[in-house]
Amino acid sequence: MASGTIALAVAIMMGLCVCGPAIAQGMVASKAMESIARQPEAAGNIRISLILALSLIEALTIYGLLIAFMLVSKI
Amino acid sequence: MEETNVLFSIGPVQITSTLTTMWVIILILTVLSILATRKLKDVPGPLQNIAEMAVESLQNYFAGIMGAKTAKKYFPIFATFFIFIVVCNYSGLLPGAGHLKGFAVPTACLSVTAALGIVAFFTTHTIGIRERGLGHYLKTFIMPFFIMLPLNLIEQIVRPFSLALRLYGNLYGEEMVLEQLYNLFPILLPLLMNVLSLIFCLIQAMVFTMLLGIYVSEAAEE
Repeated sequence: MASGTIALAVAIMMGLCVCGPAIAQGMVASKAMESIARQPEAAGNIRISLILALSLIEALTIYGLLIAFMLVSKI
Repeated sequence: MEETNVLFSIGPVQITSTLTTMWVIILILTVLSILATRKLKDVPGPLQNIAEMAVESLQNYFAGIMGAKTAKKYFPIFATFFIFIVVCNYSGLLPGAGHLKGFAVPTACLSVTAALGIVAFFTTHTIGIRERGLGHYLKTFIMPFFIMLPLNLIEQIVRPFSLALRLYGNLYGEEMVLEQLYNLFPILLPLLMNVLSLIFCLIQAMVFTMLLGIYVSEAAEE
């Protein structure tokens, strides 16, 4: 019973954990491409901040992944 | 994870594979930097050339984050953070990492990243106090209003946690994903993740030092 609940919780949590940052990353990437198209000479700077922003957002998913590993080890 | 890789113990202190890997990395970095700076010449040899390039690009990187003055003054600690994290991350790409006795990726262990986070925490506040004086620095916690004090304190306390967990989670998660892919299909499939981790290892070190730089520049200036 308990392990089934944990498995379900992990599945739901990972789904949600991926959803939010995915939306955020999509917004960041689309804005970055827009700005590169508008100002191609600033592409280098924009690319660096893009990668940094993406990896900061990615950390949120990773937090969820950590909790998921902890929960899975309890099954 | 941390309990299984104990090699031997000196008294109550357990020596893990993570620790021995860290010692080796520290030793290699020390010897390399001594060799590179032992006989400085106007026309640099190959090793001195590499070291000069690394220092110069790191200086430019940190100057872009927090201004040339602060970056130059506190360059050693930022560069140490960056180089140590990069080498630790990339040690995971060597064959045998995590499987051989005495060889495990240091930054995939929560204790190591927590230590890095704590050092970063004290670095920020020490630099803040040194640059502005104790009274002025403490006053920034109740800027603009007194009511902001608990929020600012919580923010300061959360920072080392987020730094440590981000680094640990990325490296540890990467290892776990690699293992799952290997179990799925051992030929060529883990290679995809390895190529990705070539980029991620560098980016994680960049993110760690960039956040530290932002915190420090926040603490050091108005």
